[in-house]
Amino acid sequence: MKEKIREFLDSDLLEQYLLGTTTELESAQVERYLAMYPEVRETYEELQDNLEAYARLHAVKPPEGLRERILQSVKRERAGRSRFMRYAVAATITALFFAGASYFFWNQNQSLQQENALVNNKIRVLEADMKSQLEDVRNQFIVLNNPQTRKFMVNGNVKARELKAIAYVNPVKKLSYINVRNLPNLPVDKDYQMWAEVNGEMVNLGVLRDFGAKDKLLALPYGEKSISYITIEPKGGNSTPTVQNIVADFSY
Amino acid sequence: MSTLLEKHIVELLREGDEKAISLLYEHYGDTLYGVALKVVKDEELAQDVVQESFVKIWKKSDTYDPSKAKLFTWLFRITRNAAIDKLRSLSTKTDREIQIDVSDVYSVGVEGIQPELMDMRKHLRSIDPKYQEVLEALFFEGMTQQEASEELDIPLGTIKSRLKIGLRELKKIYAPAVLLACLILTMP
Repeated sequence: MKEKIREFLDSDLLEQYLLGTTTELESAQVERYLAMYPEVRETYEELQDNLEAYARLHAVKPPEGLRERILQSVKRERAGRSRFMRYAVAATITALFFAGASYFFWNQNQSLQQENALVNNKIRVLEADMKSQLEDVRNQFIVLNNPQTRKFMVNGNVKARELKAIAYVNPVKKLSYINVRNLPNLPVDKDYQMWAEVNGEMVNLGVLRDFGAKDKLLALPYGEKSISYITIEPKGGNSTPTVQNIVADFSY
Repeated sequence: MSTLLEKHIVELLREGDEKAISLLYEHYGDTLYGVALKVVKDEELAQDVVQESFVKIWKKSDTYDPSKAKLFTWLFRITRNAAIDKLRSLSTKTDREIQIDVSDVYSVGVEGIQPELMDMRKHLRSIDPKYQEVLEALFFEGMTQQEASEELDIPLGTIKSRLKIGLRELKKIYAPAVLLACLILTMP
């Protein structure tokens, strides 16, 4: 160990470290020795004292103005530093502003995306709606145009003499439609409701309303030996037909 | 030597107090100017070097680690490096030689020699010139040991050993003076 220290002190690493001319690696080595061995530390302290003494031997009084020059340039440096601080503050504010703006735009984007999804959904619903309507119209066309279609005239009974409807039934395509041409007026608290008994089962076809469009065809569920009824029910329709209020019926 | 003062200056530097610069200039200005002058050998240049060094000292004050070096050692390194950089930036060798010529004239009659150092200077002469030559070359001329070896035509190993012995010889001459200086400084 002693030998290692002597070897180290014999090298000029410590002197070079003193002058600040060692590489980073060498500095690290010197600092390790300084930390580990008191005699190295002692030599280093001595070298530092020597250097200071030697340098002081060469001290020269500088011209008068130098002190002022130095203080001025340090002040300028300091002003530069505080200018830097101002820039830093400005930069921070700018950064915060952009962060806020980013959040705002992100938020907006998010709500636009939601809206977009909503619109897309609506379009899909509309599309499906249109398809089914188109299908309906196509079927109507088939029924009306087909030579095998049978046409029934439906008349109202005593309770509604003015009721007139035309039913179209095509057993080949298994499609049936009814066109209600005329319905007598009802008290405001009553509605006409359409029913169909298909394969022994009563199907609610809904309330007949809004007969402004007189050429509207209403699809009927198809079945062998079905019967269709129109009844008068309380406003809004009923869940089962009221038999005594049947105003028209026809079988197909 | 003046560890209390050192501590005080270091504290002021840490706090970014400009008083630190005043104190540094007061206590180390002459010495650092002397170092710069030794290296660049031109009064104007030496002043620039010292000014730049103080700005560096001010800017780098947070990098100073008292556990690694005495305050003066740190100041010396900065000033010496600044002076050497200055010389290198002036580049061409001929420039440098001209400066050396000028400085020889100048260094004979230096103004403002501190009287208390006169005695030490006399002693300095008692140190074998072969050591002084190496100390000067390495400390002030900004030479690397390799350069000094070539310039002085001395083997590199000899440069190393002379630097060591020279530095240690110094102790003999300044120790009494320092003691005296300390006594004067500590007197009320």
